[in-house]
Amino acid sequence: MEGLDLLKKDWQKSTNSFTQIGENELSNMLKLRSSSIVKWIFFVSICELLLGIVLGITLSLSKAHDESSELLQKWGIYEFYMACSIVFYLVVVWFIYRFYQNYRKISVVSSTKELITNIINTRRVVKRYIAFNLISFAVLFIVVCSFGFYHGYTTESVMHNGNGQMPLTVMITAIIILILITAVLTLIFWLIYKLIYGILLRRLNRSYEELKKMEL
Amino acid sequence: MMEQSLEKDFVEKLKMNQNLIHKICRLYTQDEDQHKDLFQEITIQLWKAYPKFRGESKFSTWAYRVALNTAITLYRKDKRSIQTSDVETANLFIKEEQYNYEEEEQIKLMYRAVQQLNDIEKALVFMYLEDKDYHEIAETLGISEVNARVKMNRIKGKLKKILNP
Repeated sequence: MEGLDLLKKDWQKSTNSFTQIGENELSNMLKLRSSSIVKWIFFVSICELLLGIVLGITLSLSKAHDESSELLQKWGIYEFYMACSIVFYLVVVWFIYRFYQNYRKISVVSSTKELITNIINTRRVVKRYIAFNLISFAVLFIVVCSFGFYHGYTTESVMHNGNGQMPLTVMITAIIILILITAVLTLIFWLIYKLIYGILLRRLNRSYEELKKMEL
Repeated sequence: MMEQSLEKDFVEKLKMNQNLIHKICRLYTQDEDQHKDLFQEITIQLWKAYPKFRGESKFSTWAYRVALNTAITLYRKDKRSIQTSDVETANLFIKEEQYNYEEEEQIKLMYRAVQQLNDIEKALVFMYLEDKDYHEIAETLGISEVNARVKMNRIKGKLKKILNP
């Protein structure tokens, strides 16, 4: 093609036409901080990984926790709650390990496709971690609230000379409302999450798609 | 002490090869500020990767891979709007007198067309302009040689379309 070859001629001619940067200035540049997207992804991911842990620890140390464990014991789901917590933290540790493993694979010297794949895989781990967090939150929220509501309702019922039973319609309505609330909350979290990463990864995803298209 | 001599060594090599980085910046940025920004980011990435550079390949070969990867995947600025004036200012980094005024207009149009390509296409064009063979292009991008060839032909077609709509 005439155009591109003309450009090539100009390109090679202009090799030495850039304003040259001196050694001192180059030396100074080495001390500057990178603002690369991987660094951003790394920091944001670490924050996300830490958020769950910090939240869990803060809650378990707070006074509210003592009260709520009493409640959970009264409702008879304390063991269930503890088992869930242990499983939850084991899974979190596994996620952090996977994240670290993938992050180490990111190298600017690999081929472009490999580099993008590794960045996206690292993100995928955090994405799954977030999904896992949201699902555990939703499940636990539903279980604890159901027990709380059931317990509260039956206690009230006995106090007001009722039979201590919950009618089926009340139970179904309560469950539906609970599921709706949980769904809305989860959806809001998910949307915020999508928005942050949509912006951060838009260009990367575009390049990834382009490379994938080329291999078809 | 070791660090100091490593830095000196690196800066010397970088200074000698800086045009390569300038050229990538020219394709991937639209104004002088972005050019400086990307140049800086590439320098930092090169320096971070330098301890692992074993000298098996030429510094320039190693550097242009790191530089391209930085431009395509790591660079954070996402200013996509392409305006004529941007392309004009992008040439600010070029010393004026180097231009051949007879072909200048056509070359300018070509640069403008190339600016409209996506990041991966720009990488292919860059390596084509740098006279790299398809083996090297394929290896750098992580695709097959055949696909690199096919893609290059498509890009030529796309550029033609941009220039003669």
